Amino acid sequence: MKILLEKLIINYPYFAAVILFIIGALTVLTRSNLFKKLIGINIMESGIFLMFVAAGNIRGGAVPILEEGSSRSVYINPLPSALMLTGIVVSVSVTAFALALILRLYKEYGTTDARRIAEIRSGVLKK
Amino acid sequence: MMTVITDNLPVFVVIAPLFVAFILPTFARRLRLVEGLVIIANTLWIAGAAYLASIVLSQNGIPITYALGGWQAPWGIELKAGSLGALFILIIAGVSLMVSFFARNNLTEEVGSYERVARFYVLILLLGGALAGMAVTNDLFNVYVLVEIATLSCCGMVSARKHARAAEAAFTYLILATLGSILVMGGIGFIYIITGHLNMAFASQELGRVWQNSPHVVWMAFSFFLVGFGVKAAVFPLHVWLPDAHSTAPAPASAILSGLAVKGYLICLLKILYNVFGQTLMQQYAVQRILVIVGTLTIMAGSILALTQDELKRRLAFSTVAQVGYIFFGFSLINTKGLSGALFYLVSHAVIKSTLFLAAGAMISATGEGKISGLAGIGRKMPITVAAFTVASLGLIGIPLFSGFIGKWYLLLGSMEAGSVIPAVVIIAGSVLCAAYLLPVIRVAYFEPTPEVDVKDPGLSQKVALIVLAAAVVILGILPGPFMELANMAATELLVLK
Amino acid sequence: MPDLIFALLSGVVGSLIIAVIPQVRNRLRNFAVLFFCAAGTFFSWRVAIAVFAGESAEISGEIGGFPFVLSPDPLGAVFGLIASTLWLFAAVYSFGYMAGKNRQRSYFTFFLLALSATLGVAFSGNLIALYLFYELLTFATYPLVIHERSAEAMKAGKRYILYSLSGAGAILIAIVVTYSLTGNVDFSGEPILAGHRSSGLNFLLILFIIGFGVKAAIMPLHRWLPAAMVAPTPVSALLHAVAVVYSGAYGILRVVYSVFGQELMRTLSFRYIFSWVIAFTILAGVIIATRQDIMKLRLAYQTVSHLSYILLGAFTLQPWGLAGAVMHMISYSMLKITLFFCAGIISEHSGKTRVSSMGGIGRQFPETMAAFGVATLGMIGMLPLNTFWGKYYLMKGSVAAGMWPFALVLTGSGIINAVCFIPVVVNAFRGEKAHTNSGQKTGVALMLAPTLILVVIALFTGLWPGMVWPAVQAVVNWYF
Repeated sequence: MKILLEKLIINYPYFAAVILFIIGALTVLTRSNLFKKLIGINIMESGIFLMFVAAGNIRGGAVPILEEGSSRSVYINPLPSALMLTGIVVSVSVTAFALALILRLYKEYGTTDARRIAEIRSGVLKK
Repeated sequence: MMTVITDNLPVFVVIAPLFVAFILPTFARRLRLVEGLVIIANTLWIAGAAYLASIVLSQNGIPITYALGGWQAPWGIELKAGSLGALFILIIAGVSLMVSFFARNNLTEEVGSYERVARFYVLILLLGGALAGMAVTNDLFNVYVLVEIATLSCCGMVSARKHARAAEAAFTYLILATLGSILVMGGIGFIYIITGHLNMAFASQELGRVWQNSPHVVWMAFSFFLVGFGVKAAVFPLHVWLPDAHSTAPAPASAILSGLAVKGYLICLLKILYNVFGQTLMQQYAVQRILVIVGTLTIMAGSILALTQDELKRRLAFSTVAQVGYIFFGFSLINTKGLSGALFYLVSHAVIKSTLFLAAGAMISATGEGKISGLAGIGRKMPITVAAFTVASLGLIGIPLFSGFIGKWYLLLGSMEAGSVIPAVVIIAGSVLCAAYLLPVIRVAYFEPTPEVDVKDPGLSQKVALIVLAAAVVILGILPGPFMELANMAATELLVLK
Repeated sequence: MPDLIFALLSGVVGSLIIAVIPQVRNRLRNFAVLFFCAAGTFFSWRVAIAVFAGESAEISGEIGGFPFVLSPDPLGAVFGLIASTLWLFAAVYSFGYMAGKNRQRSYFTFFLLALSATLGVAFSGNLIALYLFYELLTFATYPLVIHERSAEAMKAGKRYILYSLSGAGAILIAIVVTYSLTGNVDFSGEPILAGHRSSGLNFLLILFIIGFGVKAAIMPLHRWLPAAMVAPTPVSALLHAVAVVYSGAYGILRVVYSVFGQELMRTLSFRYIFSWVIAFTILAGVIIATRQDIMKLRLAYQTVSHLSYILLGAFTLQPWGLAGAVMHMISYSMLKITLFFCAGIISEHSGKTRVSSMGGIGRQFPETMAAFGVATLGMIGMLPLNTFWGKYYLMKGSVAAGMWPFALVLTGSGIINAVCFIPVVVNAFRGEKAHTNSGQKTGVALMLAPTLILVVIALFTGLWPGMVWPAVQAVVNWYF
């Protein structure tokens, strides 16, 4: 038990990533409000970003910029951070696109609630 | 000169459609020009793909590698155009050429103004480039980026119609597909954490050494990839988005989405399973059993759900779910016959399903009816469209002389070799169900009284597209030569690599 | 081998030509149908004669990377002969039957297409070709089954196609298993599975028998056949008493003798089970037939029963049994098609389809009912008719194989056949002359002529069985 706790504390960034991921996933799957679903997606993505960045981090490592005369030998791995920049860009564009879709749905149905939309649509179909 | 072309071929086949996609919006107001450009770009693309395929064939499957930006393998992004890539790109380029032919002079009705049509073409080309990239890339993070490009352009196509239902379907698709991408990215993260590599070959080597140190992480990576790509490829319990998305999109988009987009994700999954994890790890974690179970379930569920649909396009969409099951099942067969069968099936389904969706689109827009019963007797009025639909249906059912049969034959041979008899029965049951849900459409179209309404075949370029695609179904079935050879090489290669 | 190609192509080419002849040009179309049927028959005869003379006719190629061989052996030649010759008779009958009816173009298009598919089944030289034509036959005959376009016809068509495709699926699995065991699918030379010994082969046999058994209407896979009787009578006569159902029976003969081989078959214990299923089908089919009031249904269940005669002969694994099977195939086909033709003439010209309403009908249609009566004697297996010889050899084979109960089954079936049909004939010539309620008499001659000619041929071959014996002997010599 103690070892488990210790591991958790040492690896707290991963722990946080998992919590974020689960919060996000729950939000996406359980909320019917379209905005909340979208925010859930964003939270999930943050979890993964955190995991990646934490994987690149080395405790006590320096910023990965070579300096003349510097004697430090341990640098933080810059690659995951760079990748996550791409990831963030992708996530922003997904968000923008989703917002545009929500806008269109709102104009059409006057609500941003997925359940209401389904009700309205089935009502329309019945007519 | 020749070597310059040859060396740059792997990147050319990815860049060509992307490049045209980016310059296209500048001509948005001149639709003729846009359509011409798209067709020219597609022709160039298919020429490049055919050349690539011929080189790969003549080299006996030895891939051409290309280091993007000159950065060599472990650091830079590496493209590796082998037999798998060549096969898949050839089919993407071919199908999207025909689809853009079909879309000529035809899209404004479904999509709207000229500018919207131009943007729609941008999405088609972006998707094509992304799929081609997936087929040749050898870098895990690149896979993620391409998957995202593909997802966004698919969503764009789904929402292309000015229809509230289209927006709704696109939103559902976007949320679920992004969920899938997040899982894929997570899987890539796990691989990176334990191996420190993003290049597939290096990651795979490293994984073979260190997987025993962190078996749970490997397990997590497996499950993230399976679920992530499973959502995107629409395997059974995760298929909920597909019918809406594929049936509300305009006909050319449905053709590309069902025919090609889903296959891109399957190819990615195949590469990650076999090139990164390798067959020993797959067997260690019994992943192939999961694939068998999921695959057979998908076949049955997709087929049965397809039977219950009244709307033609929804029926076809559910049939895509079922056919994905075949390919998924094929991936589980760790032998050359099964894998090459799965790959050939993938190719033939790409052609068949796009024919079916295009023909269905033509029928629906001519009659204004989405229901199957609304197509009564149109076989005489639209002979070419319905004939193309019939040929493609027979292909999907798996009648000899048509391409679907060869895929099914090798899948069956492979499953015999793997000693799994029940999946073989499921494959056959799937074809019988396929007959049960496709033949009524043909029966209604040919053998019911002809309607009074004046419907006729679509325009010339639509007819050409339908005829070429239907001919491809037959030609692939009679002379599968180079395609089967490429599929065979790809399968051998996937099995040899670890 | 040009004859082989011409024989196969005549149906396809003919159907393509007929598809473009306008709906109203009936005479031209009938002429084309007759021409292409005659061509198919002529070239099939030439192929068959060459095969019986010991020449080998083979076309091999590759389709989709699979070996594809057409190479008729005596068994295939016999089947090809039966099918193509009767096709000619059925074509003439169809001209009379279809005169003045709708959708003649679609009818004759698929009628000819089915000829090619059937000849393909007969002449196929490996399992792949057999499977290909077997599937094509299903699709070519489907439009004929639903020719009436009524709800009932659609239902029957659906049942027909789903049964057939499921059967074909079982065959496909079986072929794949065979191929992965041996790497060979050719019929020529040794049986494909010769030299293999394992009890697992029993299950392979099940797959094959289920697959072909659908078309051969083994109980309980027979249910599509009575349903398919909604088709026009010539279709029921030709396809559902001869061509389609024979392709199933032929497939089983192939499986028994060319795929497994008689030596291997003897070691498989499941063959006993199948023999009993077949014996059950023989009796149950004809018993159900006696309970049917609608004439065509009665004939259909009798078909179910008689097809199993052929299969029984195959499963005796004796030369006499095989000879009986082949003999029965030849003779039964002529008489059964006659029975259907007669039923069609009566229903067309008096509107009577039920047995119970056919009292006195013989006065109105004396020639038809006379032909019917003779054919009935043939169904029972009485001497002046050729079916006697088939039945005789079958019994001889059963006894030689030590399966004497089957000889009793055959006798019993003959008696029930008599119970089933003799009263119909007797009633037809008794009592009041039925009222004529039909003004139309179009095409009676065209319908009656093929019927009577077939009866005469059946009588001749019954009196001089030596006329068909060389063919039977060639088949038996080929396998024993």
